[in-house]
Amino acid sequence: MMAWLSAAAFAQPGMFVLGVDGMDPVILQRLIDQGRVPNLAKMAREGAFQPLGTANPPQSPVAWSTFVTGVDPGGHGIFDFIHRDPATYHPIASATPAPEGEATVFRLFGYVLPISVPEAGNNRGGTPFWDLLHKAGVPVEVYRIPGNFPVPESEAKVLSGMGTPDLRGGYGTYTLFTDQPVPSTSKGDIIRVQVADYDLDGIPDTVDTALKGAPDVLHLEPGQVPRDDDYLTARVSFSVDPEHETVAVRTGDGVTVLREGEWSPWMTVSYDAAPFGLMPIEGIVRFYAKELRPGFQIYASPVNISPAAPAMPLTSPTDWATDLLDEIGPYYTQGMPEDTNALRDGTFTDDEYLKQVGLVQEDTRRVLDRALDGFKPGSFGFLYVSDIDLQCHMMWRHGDPKTPDAPPHPAMDPATAAAHAGNIDHFYEDVDELVGTVRAGLPADTRIIVMSDHGFQPFHTKFHLNAWLRDAGLLVLKDGATTGSLTDVDWSRTKAYGVGFNGLYLNIRGREGQGIVDPAAAGALEAEIRAGLEGVLAPETGARVVRRVVSRAQAYHGARVAEAPDLVVGYDAGFGNSDESTLGMVTRAVFEPNREKWSGNHLMDPEVVPGVLLVDRPIEGSGHDLTDLTATLLEHFGVAKPAEYVGQPITIR
Amino acid sequence: MTFLVGPITSVFDVLLAPFGHGWPWFDLVLWPLVGAVIALVVYKYVSNQKAIAAAKDRIALHLYEVRLFPEDLRIVLGSTLKILWRNAVYVGHNLLPMAVMLAPMMLLITQLVSHYAFAPTPVGEPVVLQVALDSGRPASSVQLEVPNGVTLDAPPVRTADGHAYFRLRGDVAGDHTLVVRQGSETQTKVWSVGGEARKVSPLRTDSLEAWLYPGEPALPGDSSFRELRIATAAQPMHWLPDGEGGILLWFFALSLLAGFALAKPMGVTF
Repeated sequence: MMAWLSAAAFAQPGMFVLGVDGMDPVILQRLIDQGRVPNLAKMAREGAFQPLGTANPPQSPVAWSTFVTGVDPGGHGIFDFIHRDPATYHPIASATPAPEGEATVFRLFGYVLPISVPEAGNNRGGTPFWDLLHKAGVPVEVYRIPGNFPVPESEAKVLSGMGTPDLRGGYGTYTLFTDQPVPSTSKGDIIRVQVADYDLDGIPDTVDTALKGAPDVLHLEPGQVPRDDDYLTARVSFSVDPEHETVAVRTGDGVTVLREGEWSPWMTVSYDAAPFGLMPIEGIVRFYAKELRPGFQIYASPVNISPAAPAMPLTSPTDWATDLLDEIGPYYTQGMPEDTNALRDGTFTDDEYLKQVGLVQEDTRRVLDRALDGFKPGSFGFLYVSDIDLQCHMMWRHGDPKTPDAPPHPAMDPATAAAHAGNIDHFYEDVDELVGTVRAGLPADTRIIVMSDHGFQPFHTKFHLNAWLRDAGLLVLKDGATTGSLTDVDWSRTKAYGVGFNGLYLNIRGREGQGIVDPAAAGALEAEIRAGLEGVLAPETGARVVRRVVSRAQAYHGARVAEAPDLVVGYDAGFGNSDESTLGMVTRAVFEPNREKWSGNHLMDPEVVPGVLLVDRPIEGSGHDLTDLTATLLEHFGVAKPAEYVGQPITIR
Repeated sequence: MTFLVGPITSVFDVLLAPFGHGWPWFDLVLWPLVGAVIALVVYKYVSNQKAIAAAKDRIALHLYEVRLFPEDLRIVLGSTLKILWRNAVYVGHNLLPMAVMLAPMMLLITQLVSHYAFAPTPVGEPVVLQVALDSGRPASSVQLEVPNGVTLDAPPVRTADGHAYFRLRGDVAGDHTLVVRQGSETQTKVWSVGGEARKVSPLRTDSLEAWLYPGEPALPGDSSFRELRIATAAQPMHWLPDGEGGILLWFFALSLLAGFALAKPMGVTF
């Protein structure tokens, strides 16, 4: 049966989709006009190039889940990076809800041994298109798809992308071994070390230290959040040569020699969760010799889950991760490997950050080569590319690539801006090269689609949504306080609160833990808030801050609408919710110039950040969105569209 | 005793090289079979064949008792204890032949590992030559001389604890001889770069580990060098585990199968 189905699939051309996170149609059009992206220009000239409607809100996990499942967030249940627990109001990661059910453990000599522990599944609902294609006999290989961790069971070959944690279980914690003072606000793990002079030759040259890895799971209660000292450690040593600017880095059996300013290859680190090596947990890490003398600073990347022995599944089928390792060598498994935290902290300069991004790009090219080598006639392939998105987030401050005559970004540093103003354009050129590789590496009849989940805008002003709600009298803190967190909120007098980048929740009675808003009065309250927010003007420029506020009933359809925020706040270009407010904090000011390196954004109204649709053949119609694209994939392979899929297939001529 | 590693390796180089180069599976089939025959011969003449046969008969007898009288707890318990005892006797009779077989088998396996378990370093890929001196000696004066086709990829690191690290890059395929010097002493280390699968030596040492890595002669006992090591990737072994694990598994599986098949024709009881 499968052979017959496969034969049927091979009878038609294959399809390859390059998913370029954050590619913006305005920037792309400019670069096409300037003749800087010849491969993309050729696609636009010979095929189709249109803006692609994104999800609401246009956040990557939301948009990619929409593309993967063909339904809007009301169907797949991913409404934001961050959701809230209605009972406690606490922010929670949208991808992995807290597992339900009680764990059973057995305690022995201080160890907490799990007998049965409820597993945290992937919160994304709906049916991924790859399952439908695979079931129809279409060979499928999907590389680095966002929002697919924890990896759901599937027989289709899928490598998890954005959202895949590092070995610590977070989205990427780097380590800096340094003998220099570092601000305590750092997002990394800063290890103060002393460079020792063991041979008493007057030259300090040796550092023996430890690198944190996986949580010490056999000493943690089920569900317990690890504290700083609850992680397993692996011994790492650095030996600086007394004469040369070189260092030997040793981890377990591995050793490498680095010059100052060099990156190591991937090195394996092993953590023992149980005595006698009974439960080894393996990770891979790269070191960067930032400074060897006179100061000592060595950066270690977040410890990635090793594809050789994954501590958690990275792919479906599970052993595909190891097959890929055998074919292309070690690769980044962390979902967002570009270390934006190190740049935000000042641990990396712009140049150092770009060098690290270069390593990720190299990795992407190897994965693409593998994807093209493995592409069979009549099959479906997908590769996700992260560079444009993250570099638009981090490099926009150096010069607005969308509106070159825009006023300088508040985070612009004249000392570095000139050297980096063109960085974002270069990343478009790099994607253009990938497109050239794709076109050259596939059978001539393969349909090639380049798409993005959203576009980009500057982010020059932070809006503290919860501070605005406080000033509007809708959110009240205990004891007359004006600043605080969600734990400081007086819920008996609070009607609305914000959690997530675009989410606003009403404190509905019977739904929220301490709700006070009568469900019957919710509509009027929503209208009041909508009118208020849509009328907010920036104090200095008078610009509109919020372009549109929509209710969940307007925005979503499907079985999970009830989990959505009551209102989705769509910011206008240049504005966005602050990180503090996203996590439920209430700040003093409502507005704040964004002086952070995270200077470009897309967490706005979907209409100001459409994505890109490029097809290598002409298409019919316009105004397509992500769900249409999903329907198109299925139709291309003759697979019936499930009833819940909301998009309409795009006709490719 | 490590001085014997070199001569023994030379013998195996002659035995393995004519067949091994270009057709490794010939050696990987032939030598487990040879190993099985050697093991059977050793077993036949070193072990007490009559006692082994008797122990096996007794075990069979007691198993029969258990099957005949399953409801009689006293007999079941007694027979089980006797089975355990006879098993211990059987194992005891195997200890001497196993001890005698251990050395030739280990020699055979380590030579196969040395020839087939490691992959040459790809051309252009950097590796680190790790030089360890005897404890207490500073590494500051360790020098390295590289041949044509090998580049020192970064300045070396010489540590206070008697280690020196040299990052090397092989620009040309071949078995390159690296020369290390410490004071008046000179030693060499072979580094295999590129080309077909062949004998690869990850480690040269003066310790007993030299028997496990016989790709090169052991370092002399009075050397100031303790070891010269180059991290080497495992050779892919198709459906078997890569590298040493695959060779071991293959060797034991095939020699066991051959042993069972040949035991009766050779008149061996085990």
